[in-house]
Amino acid sequence: MLGKIFGTFCTLSLLFGILCGKLTDVAAAIPDGAAKAVEVTLTLLGMMCLWSGVLQVLSDAGVIQKIARTFAPFLRHVFPKAYKTGEGYEEICATLSANFLGVGNAATPFALCAMKKMQGHNPHPESADNEQVTLAVLSTASLTLVPANLLALRRAAGSQNPFSIMIPVWITSILCVSFALFLTSFLRIRERFSHTRASKKHD
Amino acid sequence: MPLILAGVGCILLFGKRDRFESFLVGARQGLETAVHLLPTLCALIVGISMLNASGAVEWLSKLLSPIFGLIGVPEEILPFLLTRPFSGSASTASFVELLENVGADSFAGLCASVIFATSDTMVYIISVYFSSVGIKHSRSAFPIATAVMLFCIFFSCFLCRLWFF
Repeated sequence: MLGKIFGTFCTLSLLFGILCGKLTDVAAAIPDGAAKAVEVTLTLLGMMCLWSGVLQVLSDAGVIQKIARTFAPFLRHVFPKAYKTGEGYEEICATLSANFLGVGNAATPFALCAMKKMQGHNPHPESADNEQVTLAVLSTASLTLVPANLLALRRAAGSQNPFSIMIPVWITSILCVSFALFLTSFLRIRERFSHTRASKKHD
Repeated sequence: MPLILAGVGCILLFGKRDRFESFLVGARQGLETAVHLLPTLCALIVGISMLNASGAVEWLSKLLSPIFGLIGVPEEILPFLLTRPFSGSASTASFVELLENVGADSFAGLCASVIFATSDTMVYIISVYFSSVGIKHSRSAFPIATAVMLFCIFFSCFLCRLWFF
């Protein structure tokens, strides 16, 4: 999957670099990109350490379990396997709460912890299982209460009323998440369908 | 963020058991995960930087603007839309540029604001999440995320038109 993305990027950049006469810029972007990757990893390194540690403390102290129980009636249906086995379920709750509270930086470490634990119950470790796909998709279309980042950027750009977009953001956000849940629900239906077919064959 | 950390501080201060050991255990695991991400990020970010530098984004924006115009998406926001799925820093940069060019309270500026808040760097997120645990086949993650993103773009512009004008 990543190989294809990387391959497409490289060929496209060469092609457009030649077409637009920006080949020297493309060449310069390679070492810059590599250096930036280290930079991003370093930033992530600190964040991962801090938030994974925080998550562990909260989980040991039973705070996450309380949040998890509140979400259970809803998330039980979206992540049935994680809920049943308990592996990764708390981390999923932490990820979604972090996104909701607008602490997006903390969401990545939580989600990576969740992925690791869910991987333990993945029958085909080379390909993502349905709940891993669901978590990834939900993270790309996350529900955010206060997009602080956006408000700051809008104010900096001289907006008369930076807050004017709040309600449209909420409406769009809720609809996007619902649409994501709707699409991922087909995955679960298909899985259930193939299960029943497989068990019928067994009989 | 400070609020959450203060909460953790309280647990560490007033808890019955010493929890700092748990913090260290968690932090060590986090460190391990982050280190394993460097090879993925290296390839991904080099690819994205090259693509940004090559002028492909401008070219694609020109190509796609009539199609997006048809469904009510202002063409000014296309460079922002094209970088959004790949890179947080590049799309933030083009978002800021867009707000400065057309104004934060113009139709295009409002549309871009809503999209900025409701979408995320999809390719980056999916790649990092899956490669951190060694998953090679993402199955339907990309098609679903793309569909959600397209819906988000279309609906944001539609709602902004209804809401503000």
